[in-house]
Amino acid sequence: MKIKTTALALSASFGAALLAAYPAGALAAKDYLVTAARPNLVFVVDAKARKVVKSHTIPNTSMGNSPITLVHSRDGKTAYVIHNRWETVSGIDLESGKEVFRAELSGGDIRAKAPFAMDLSPDGKELAVFVNPTRLLPGEYQVLDPYIAVYRTDAGVDAEPARRLPVPRRVSTLAYAPKGDTLYAFSWDMLKLDPQTGAVKGKHPWRSWKNGDQGEPDTLAVWPQFEQANVFATPYYVTHADKKEGDPAALRAGIWRLDLEQDKVTFKEFENAGVVLFSSVVNPVRRDETYTVYTQLTRVNTKTGKMDRVDLDHTYYNVNVSSDGNELYIGGTQGDIAVYDSRTLKRIGNIRTPGGGDQVLTSLRIFQR
Amino acid sequence: MRRTDHHRTSPRALALAAGLVTQLAAAGAYAAPPAAEALVNTKCAACHTAKGDGKWDRISDSRRTPEGWDMTVARMGFAHGVKLSHEERSAIVKYLSDAYGLSPDETVAHRYIIERQPSVVEHHDNKVIGDTCARCHSYARVAVQRRTEDDWRKLAHFHVGQFPTVEIQAGGRDRNWFELATGDAAVALGKVYGYDSASWAKWKAQKPVDMSGTWRLVGHKPGTGAYEGSATIQRTGDDRYSVAMELRYENGATESATGSSIVYTGHEWRATVQQGGRNVHQVFSLQPGGAVLTGRWFEEDNDAVGGDLKAVRAGSAATVLSVQPAMLRSGSRASVTINGTGLDGDVDLGPGVKVRRVVARSADRVTLEVDVAAGAAIGARTVSVGKAQGADALKVFKRIDYVKITPDHPMARVGGAGGSTPKVPAQLEAIAYSAGADGKTGTADDLRLGVVDASWSLANLNKAAEEMRDVEYAGRIEKNGLFVTNDAGPNPDRKYGANNVGELRVTATVKDGGRTVKATAPLIVTVQRWNDPPIR
Repeated sequence: MKIKTTALALSASFGAALLAAYPAGALAAKDYLVTAARPNLVFVVDAKARKVVKSHTIPNTSMGNSPITLVHSRDGKTAYVIHNRWETVSGIDLESGKEVFRAELSGGDIRAKAPFAMDLSPDGKELAVFVNPTRLLPGEYQVLDPYIAVYRTDAGVDAEPARRLPVPRRVSTLAYAPKGDTLYAFSWDMLKLDPQTGAVKGKHPWRSWKNGDQGEPDTLAVWPQFEQANVFATPYYVTHADKKEGDPAALRAGIWRLDLEQDKVTFKEFENAGVVLFSSVVNPVRRDETYTVYTQLTRVNTKTGKMDRVDLDHTYYNVNVSSDGNELYIGGTQGDIAVYDSRTLKRIGNIRTPGGGDQVLTSLRIFQR
Repeated sequence: MRRTDHHRTSPRALALAAGLVTQLAAAGAYAAPPAAEALVNTKCAACHTAKGDGKWDRISDSRRTPEGWDMTVARMGFAHGVKLSHEERSAIVKYLSDAYGLSPDETVAHRYIIERQPSVVEHHDNKVIGDTCARCHSYARVAVQRRTEDDWRKLAHFHVGQFPTVEIQAGGRDRNWFELATGDAAVALGKVYGYDSASWAKWKAQKPVDMSGTWRLVGHKPGTGAYEGSATIQRTGDDRYSVAMELRYENGATESATGSSIVYTGHEWRATVQQGGRNVHQVFSLQPGGAVLTGRWFEEDNDAVGGDLKAVRAGSAATVLSVQPAMLRSGSRASVTINGTGLDGDVDLGPGVKVRRVVARSADRVTLEVDVAAGAAIGARTVSVGKAQGADALKVFKRIDYVKITPDHPMARVGGAGGSTPKVPAQLEAIAYSAGADGKTGTADDLRLGVVDASWSLANLNKAAEEMRDVEYAGRIEKNGLFVTNDAGPNPDRKYGANNVGELRVTATVKDGGRTVKATAPLIVTVQRWNDPPIR
């Protein structure tokens, strides 16, 4: 999968440079995609226009490694991204491209990495980052307890955590409730933390989830794309002990959803596990509809279990949805974000990433302005 | 997800690590080695505290194969900035392999991993170790190391510190990986693959053997067939040798191989030779006693292609090494060659096989014309020439009752197309079996006869493969059973733009007189192995 810098991609990036600012004084709020791409880009797309309108470089990073989790402020002014071998978080002003925030997680004899989980408080004032630290001693490594580093977003480019919250290992997602009073941490279970103290206020069971004869569900939840519906959704696979080995129904696929506003979990098993499902998003208008991608785009009604599916032209990792619920944006590989109609599941457009680099494991986010 | 594990490893670093075997065997320009212990004190002791008496923190808490030590030393370069010249790296690896190696016994069950044998289906000796380590690595990678329990625990810390996705990725996330790896798994590893062993203590006390001399060798190269030949080994320095080999294949082809070798740990022979116009690596082990050398050789750029080898020192005990062909049909007349050393005296091919004429004979080789009686009992025969014996060296059969394809679960990988990773083919063979005297297949007296010619065909393995039309995209199979994949990269002609991967069913059709006997095996064609370390 070589990255080719095509003439088309170059002209797209050149076009982006010509557009100095977002269209000022627009009458209605528009959807913008904000995401990252290899090797060091953060860029903004006018979703309906299918146009890259801003492309910025992440400064002082490791060029051989791709940026991962990206979270934006609700006003669309700043995007925070984990990069530099997961050891740095930078906040990039999406208008000017200036780095307005930078936190180095490593320092001294500590090498610390942020594997995926990060979210911004709804008021945009605090950034929570799950950190996995290791002490590099002469001749050996010593793994330390992970923590959630909470930064003030006005801490500048030499940011230190305002506080550190204790947290179990294997956190793959952090998500603030829209009111900001709860920080969800998806570890062995979905924990409800006090964002000030880290105190565990409660949990939604995952590993400890008892549901008839089912085993421990399995998911890889590293794609935060819950901002449109305020619903965290992730596909999962689960075994059923009452089925014999070899019975296709012994391993089932479902969607697990947590309404971050209502603090309410719903789930739906919808098929025997047969295809790979990577990440999901919930339609903010038709809220029972969840879309999942990999080599296929799958729509599941999580109330009825009705499922529709179309084949895709290549592999996609991430998916997001327009504010009116009509368009789906899917990306991740081959320098391409495709646009699909959420009703017909037909392809209606696409956007090339600037330079043609892949998004890889970064997030595909949406804001309005 | 696993791809992201290696985010700190640069392509150059990987290339360095992958170039290991060359490194291990590059003795051609051998000069006096830097004083290795002094080098360890200079280059390693900055972090690994010297404890005196040739011991350092961490370093002296584990024992490894030469490949294992070279991977570690290479990592110290690309992950921790240790700068070593080619000669220094080579000297340190040699020193550590000699001081902290594994005895022949300790490697014997898992040599396939250092020999780079393709498509091995592993057996996990220990479940906790298998579940913790062998979901990502081969089990053998673990089993060719010895560490103290505490050092195994430190290795678990290293894993999470270096590769934090280990706790998130499939195979790790279903458990409290870190707690398990530093707890139960470290305890099990310390017990099963602990540092101290009687075998190592005994081996280390032995004097190294000088390998110089003439050696008689036999072997088999899948896809080409059996061979026999000889080797001349000459000492060029401490544990350094030059080697010249002649290989004569049963199909009449011949190859010569010349190159140089280093012997590590008193038994680990690593050579690079020019053979048939290609660079070939030899990974052999000298058996205790110093008279028998066994192992595998493979092409440097294509390690799926190679052969096994057994060599015995000329002048050691007389032995029959092989018989070509090794399977004779009852009621037939055949030309047979016995390969070995010290082949002086009467020839005996066992009941029902009569020597009609001795065509030619030497101490290494006896060529005969034999008659196999129509009523000769089905079974294996011990072949003897004077004092030289070869147990089960010859099989008498009536008919081929069934065929198996080896490897049982072959795997090939797409590659090429201008990418950094070459194609990995799969070399298949059809192995003929007799049902034995009871005429029932699948019973204890079934007899493995040997490799037979087959015609090969491919089909889709299952419904998913049919839907993806895998057989049209995944590759082709040549007459000698070599499956060659198609180019790597997304294929715009395929559904999902998929790579030319596939799940195939390969069929071998063998003619046995007027009958045909068929065998099938699943053949998986998968994507590149981007990180291909010397020990997988």
